[in-house]
Amino acid sequence: MSDKPHDFIDQYQAWVREGVEAWSRQFDPKASPAEAMPSADIMGRLFAGLGGYGDWMRSYAGGEAPSGPFAGMPSFGQGGPGMPPFGYGPLPGAAPHEQQRFDEWARVANEALSLPAFGLTREQQEEQQALLRAWIDYAGHYQRYQALLQGVHERANAALREQGPPSDADSMRSVYDRWVNLAEESYAEAALSAEFREVYAALVNAQMHLKMLQQRQVERAATQAGMPTRKEVDSLGERLQAVRRELRHMQGLKAEVEALRAQVATLTGTKASKTAKASKASKSAKPSGPAKGRGR
Amino acid sequence: MTTHPFPFDPQRAQAEMEAFRRKLESGMETLKRVGPIELGTTPREVVYTEDKLTLWHFRGDTPPTAKAPLLICYALVNTPWMVDLQEDRSMVRNLLAQGEDVYLVDWGYPDGADRWLTLQDYIDGYLDRCVDAIRERHDGEAVNLLGICQGGVFSLCYTALHPDKVRNLVTMVTPVDFHTPDNMLSHWARNVDIDLFVDTVGNVPADVMNFAYLTLKPVRLNQQKYIGLVDILDNPKELENFLRMEKWIFDSPDQAGEAFREFARDFFQKNQLMKGEVRIGGRRVDLKRIEQPVLNIYAEQDHLVPPAASTPLGDLVGSDDYTALPFQGGHIGIYVSGRAQKLVPPAIHAWLAER
Repeated sequence: MSDKPHDFIDQYQAWVREGVEAWSRQFDPKASPAEAMPSADIMGRLFAGLGGYGDWMRSYAGGEAPSGPFAGMPSFGQGGPGMPPFGYGPLPGAAPHEQQRFDEWARVANEALSLPAFGLTREQQEEQQALLRAWIDYAGHYQRYQALLQGVHERANAALREQGPPSDADSMRSVYDRWVNLAEESYAEAALSAEFREVYAALVNAQMHLKMLQQRQVERAATQAGMPTRKEVDSLGERLQAVRRELRHMQGLKAEVEALRAQVATLTGTKASKTAKASKASKSAKPSGPAKGRGR
Repeated sequence: MTTHPFPFDPQRAQAEMEAFRRKLESGMETLKRVGPIELGTTPREVVYTEDKLTLWHFRGDTPPTAKAPLLICYALVNTPWMVDLQEDRSMVRNLLAQGEDVYLVDWGYPDGADRWLTLQDYIDGYLDRCVDAIRERHDGEAVNLLGICQGGVFSLCYTALHPDKVRNLVTMVTPVDFHTPDNMLSHWARNVDIDLFVDTVGNVPADVMNFAYLTLKPVRLNQQKYIGLVDILDNPKELENFLRMEKWIFDSPDQAGEAFREFARDFFQKNQLMKGEVRIGGRRVDLKRIEQPVLNIYAEQDHLVPPAASTPLGDLVGSDDYTALPFQGGHIGIYVSGRAQKLVPPAIHAWLAER
């Protein structure tokens, strides 16, 4: 056992890292066949959660810089809100001046991207400029969102410190659970604020705007390569759905017409039957007429 | 010198972490031994299919004794197997045991071909044809409709538009007021440009939906839950239950783009159900047209559909026979907790049996 008070956290984090590596190795086609493991999803989430626990311990036991506000949050490759922009500036934990450098670069880039485009490829240039501006815009909204989350995290930390050492803290785990409650309370308060609503929506809208411009670029490339595009497939799907609705409507009308025909047939059948009966009665009465007459 | 907010004894802390690590290591062995996890255990048969949709009919141990068939209409988000998660946690199984004749709409997994499905296609189309398929099997009688969450909203719209086909209506954890102050999802959605969103993503990926749900309680759902998992790793039964729930949570369908656009805009953003302004296929949904008996079951600790979002229903429907039934639990616990098994299906059955 080491004298250094936080060695156990280093050991824990190293163990989690090893676990992640061992788990990842089974997806390496070059590796020898590994033992069966549960689904990749659950293991990924498990290790992410365990890693977050280690980060939390480090921040509390060591008085070091707090870990990310929501360590252990999964990342979403399919464009979920809050996804960092591709190639986004400083890495987590970067010094503040690096962040400022990114901001300064973004400001200068935005100015340069506002210059008019010229020549044969003017439209493509404008599209590229719009795409880069959208990327910078999204990066800015992403920063605001992260700053809000960082604030939530700091408020939860402050609340835990204000409460002082709990008398019943018989384990780190019990303190961790207490911190989670405080973090969630702090988060819920922030998440229901008008500011969060505005920042969240701006983030999603900026992300979607960027994605749409990216799609346009891909569509253009696909069109040039003679490939079908998402827009065309969508258009076909929309028409197909409209035709299906129309068909359903026509089928409904057909069923109504058939029902009405059946009613008419019943009515006319009844009428015809009555007429036939009447006619039959009249016919059968006729001979008796003359007979009667004859009888007269 | 660093400040220690909590004076942990390093040796004690190390011992705690060692114990945690040992438990985790031995638990990994249990994890490796867990076989495939299945959802939906009650015997069932297909009675109607269309596109991705399947209408299931469940078979109980004894023939049904209920007055009318009961159709469960689940939400489009997540699969419907929450109502039949496992043998000892199954609302379906418990309803069958009470004598109900249970059907379930399984919406399936939409793909690009379903991108243009609207709420009208779901409610006036798929749901109506499921109801007709059941009525055909039951001499044309009206069904009892049980709607869950978004499926409850669909059921309200359906009953208002086709009142002659519904005998009794049961709604569970169903929102009607989307603008209550504690409704986080609605709060976030309010300023989002839904048209831009749907025009960009088309069908809404399940991962995006799950991300939104996870961020309602981010630390608890992304981190603490998995720390807690270590506590049960040495208990195969509990571990299987955990993995089953995990499978259900993340085995989510994508959302058909147009239906999502309409639901997010008209319900979440404009709160039109509450205002009586929802239109499905051009027809206004007037909840006052719901004159049949209504049972509204809500969960008191529901973080997705807070009670205040559900309870105004009583003032909105035209029925003189409205019952509100609170359940002490959450949005999921109302289906899978031990208390729910004992309380909810018998309450539904008793209420239906009186009508």
